[in-house]
Amino acid sequence: MAKGNYSAILELKNITKRFGNLVAINDISFSLEQGKLVTFVGPSGCGKTTLLRAISGFVEPDEGEIILEGEDITKTPPNARDTAMVFQNYALFPHLTLAQNIGFGLRIMKKPKKEIDEAVEGLLSLVQMDGLGERKPHELSGGQQQRVALARALSLRPKILLLDEPLSNLDANLRISMREEVRKLQRRLDLSIIFVTHDQEEAMSISDLLVVMDNGIVKQIGSPTEVYEHPIDDFVANFIGYINFFPGKVIDISGDQMNFKISQGNLKVALPPFKVSVGDRLRAVIRPESIDIADAETKLSDDENVIEGRIDVAMYIGSIIRYTITTGDQIVYLDETDPQYRGIFQEGKKVRLILKKRIHMLPE
Amino acid sequence: MSTSFQSNFFYNLAEDIRHFLRNPGLVAVTSVVSILIILFIGFPIGSVLVRSFTVTFPTVTVQCQHNLSTNADAEKRITQPILAAFKPIKGIEETRTTTDPEHLVIILRFRKDWDDLRGLHDTKRAIEKFKRRLDPFVGKIKYQLGQETIKSFATYKDFFSKSYYYKALRNSIVLAVVTTTLVVFIAFCFAFLGLKGPGFIKGPLRVLGLIPLIAPPFIFALALILIGGRGGIFTKLFHLPYNIYGWPGVITAQVITFLPLGYLMIENVLRSLGTNLEDAASDMRARDVDVLFKITIPLAMPGILKAALLVFLMSIADFGNPMLIGGNVSFLATDAYLLWISENNIEMAAVFCVFLILPSMIMFIIHEYVLKGKMYTTIGGKPQQSERRKITPKIFYPMIGIATPVSLMIVLCFGMIFLGAFTKILMIDNTFTLEHFQSTNGFRSLITSVKFAFSAALIAPIIGVTISYILVRKRIPFKRVLEFVSLLGFAVPGTVMGVGYIIAFNSPPLKLTGTFIIMIINEAFRNLSVSLEAGSSKLHQIDIAIEEAAVDMGASAFRTFTRIVLPLISSALVAGFLYTFMVGMIAVSAVIFLITPGNNLASLYILAVAEEGFLGMACAISIMLIVVVVLCLGTLKLISKYTKTEVF
Repeated sequence: MAKGNYSAILELKNITKRFGNLVAINDISFSLEQGKLVTFVGPSGCGKTTLLRAISGFVEPDEGEIILEGEDITKTPPNARDTAMVFQNYALFPHLTLAQNIGFGLRIMKKPKKEIDEAVEGLLSLVQMDGLGERKPHELSGGQQQRVALARALSLRPKILLLDEPLSNLDANLRISMREEVRKLQRRLDLSIIFVTHDQEEAMSISDLLVVMDNGIVKQIGSPTEVYEHPIDDFVANFIGYINFFPGKVIDISGDQMNFKISQGNLKVALPPFKVSVGDRLRAVIRPESIDIADAETKLSDDENVIEGRIDVAMYIGSIIRYTITTGDQIVYLDETDPQYRGIFQEGKKVRLILKKRIHMLPE
Repeated sequence: MSTSFQSNFFYNLAEDIRHFLRNPGLVAVTSVVSILIILFIGFPIGSVLVRSFTVTFPTVTVQCQHNLSTNADAEKRITQPILAAFKPIKGIEETRTTTDPEHLVIILRFRKDWDDLRGLHDTKRAIEKFKRRLDPFVGKIKYQLGQETIKSFATYKDFFSKSYYYKALRNSIVLAVVTTTLVVFIAFCFAFLGLKGPGFIKGPLRVLGLIPLIAPPFIFALALILIGGRGGIFTKLFHLPYNIYGWPGVITAQVITFLPLGYLMIENVLRSLGTNLEDAASDMRARDVDVLFKITIPLAMPGILKAALLVFLMSIADFGNPMLIGGNVSFLATDAYLLWISENNIEMAAVFCVFLILPSMIMFIIHEYVLKGKMYTTIGGKPQQSERRKITPKIFYPMIGIATPVSLMIVLCFGMIFLGAFTKILMIDNTFTLEHFQSTNGFRSLITSVKFAFSAALIAPIIGVTISYILVRKRIPFKRVLEFVSLLGFAVPGTVMGVGYIIAFNSPPLKLTGTFIIMIINEAFRNLSVSLEAGSSKLHQIDIAIEEAAVDMGASAFRTFTRIVLPLISSALVAGFLYTFMVGMIAVSAVIFLITPGNNLASLYILAVAEEGFLGMACAISIMLIVVVVLCLGTLKLISKYTKTEVF
């Protein structure tokens, strides 16, 4: 098979892995394009790390194939695969210096000393750690260890870089700057990366493609925008950010619009991509930031989807204010950005909620 | 720098003392345990050190009554002929004279190893010979035998000048080095295969690595005698011209005896390293052999060295194996005993003890200051659901090649003990019999052992846990000293504590040698530190806030201790009790110096009957001992499981 024609650098075909009775990965297929950053995201125990370890060779799948650049590597041991992993706790060798850590793989490959030294120096400066090669891992901060682990993984120029929750041991600010660094590096070196995390925000911000997993199966594969705006089901909708559900019934369809009756009133919404007919029970799914809030007295055009409600809790978070609002028999979350602009509505106050037009529909 | 350190030190000390004195109850308890510790651990060990720098000579004192007035000239006239008369007497090292108005006293100091009765006889003969010449001046003559002790390096000089002394030191060190090296190698193979090997060998290796733990410490020597002794199975079967006594026997017996210790520690280290770094290495293209030598072994090295230190110390201190199977080769621990029991040369025994203490001290210092904080076991990260990958044959075959013969040897040894116990005389009369189990003396010794171990097990945990509470929770001056002396009893070889007790408690007001009590005290204080460790481990688990809450509720310190602390650390007390009982049942090295007729212990009785060649009986009593020990271990394990107390 000609390598050059292959747009997918990695292909997983029907991978299944069981640990005893537990099905850790259940029939997963997926492919990664060269130069893309894909994130496996899901709650802990969803199988994302197992899948990553299957790709790196530490776990052998019970069924399925792993194909790297057209070559079946399902049974290839980890030390013969063109993949490199950054471990969650970095797994730097504590008895070796940073330079020795980074040069470990090259020494194993019996490269000439000069070549190793040059490569190590280059990698150290790539991760902005110039001149620290003689330090030992325990002398470094978490972020520095992280960068060394990255440099070590890059030392063998792997076809795919695997990152296993690499940022989870860092504090919040560092996490954000590190993920930017990883993204920049990925773009600059045109790396193909698989990134594993349980942090949906991290996943959204860093990825070209999200693979949302739960209970060993893939729930949805898509770009961050797709997954966020068009979650395929409750799980995905709930997992990626806060969400409001409005159950209801289709009462009439005209053109690409339909009338959708919920307990708080009637909504005019675009037809969903799946087939609907009058009388179908569906749910409207709306993100908290897609709802506007207005005084009960404000005049609004009939064209808008408006429901009434009363503020239970107003929680000031700084960049946003999150309202918890009772409307009809349900609770709705609503995020207003830049609360300083209009001031904060008092708890107990009656308000009107304006549901913006692009409402995502899910079958019941 | 140094002055600020000093002033800091004295400031802290003053603060400690101030805090300490504010609490009379604490002062009382601390004083009592400190006195006990110093008396029964520090004092005997100190006595050994002091005694090693002294020499005792036999003396004959001759007292002559003279009828001359004090007159220097006249005095000279009698003294000179007498001294001349003594000249030809053999063995005299020094002659001293003193006079008073009526007496002339001459003290003849003989050579250290001289028979004092012979000296007396020779002295009398010499006086007889010159009696007539002396008669005009001298009246009645009195003789007295005596001893004279002086400070001297003579015993050390002796030690280094005579090959049969310094060879014991050399042999002990060679033995320890060889045993340690072998144990570390074998234990590593057992631990590595037990953790990473194919499933079917894991269980058997774990069991075989630990099973020698349940055996009295000299049982493998016994088994090896049955296998390869003069009348041993293999010696007879294959008509071998040689036997296992001496180096091969001692080394084999020690390796098997100390394998569990090495196995436990190395397994622990390998387990705590996890697989993460090994995974990282193979992710970096390292082959399995590279992973083993570049990652696993370097990372485990501090733990391996720690295990090696401990095995080294145990080997040097070992008494039973060299005693039984050492043949003509001399070793420090056993020869110290022989020096005392057959030559009554307590000074040389003390010097031997000093050379037994030295390695422990050196190892202790290495352990505390070189290895401490060098462990790579703090590597975090959640354990991954990872599959055991197959070990490459390049590692598997050499390792299994080492582990298999050792495993077979262990099985064979236990098998021999059972065969020996249930046959009349193995290889001579192989009929089945239970008679070895019916020896009255054996039973009596077993009962004495139970009494002995039980009593020691009552004392050790109470004192040990009390000390642990003081050390962990209270502020007292010289805390490190209390801790150090408490641990010393365990760190120092049993032989030293045996010789120390003989020297320290052999004269009034503390003349305790020859009593059953002293044996119990010795055993209790030697094993104190295990209860101490169990106590601290438990106390570190209990949040101090619980005690503070009790005090906050108005409880007194005493009430807090009895109502809150004691119930919480009771598991440590029980664990300490069982451990002390267990080691008491198989104690050999220190108590052998202290036993008296009628108070023989089972373990020592086994040693004695085995030496006399009654191997069947030795095997039978060993089996009974193993049963007791297994019961204790089982209970201990249950307790540590249910209370989460770390007991070794």
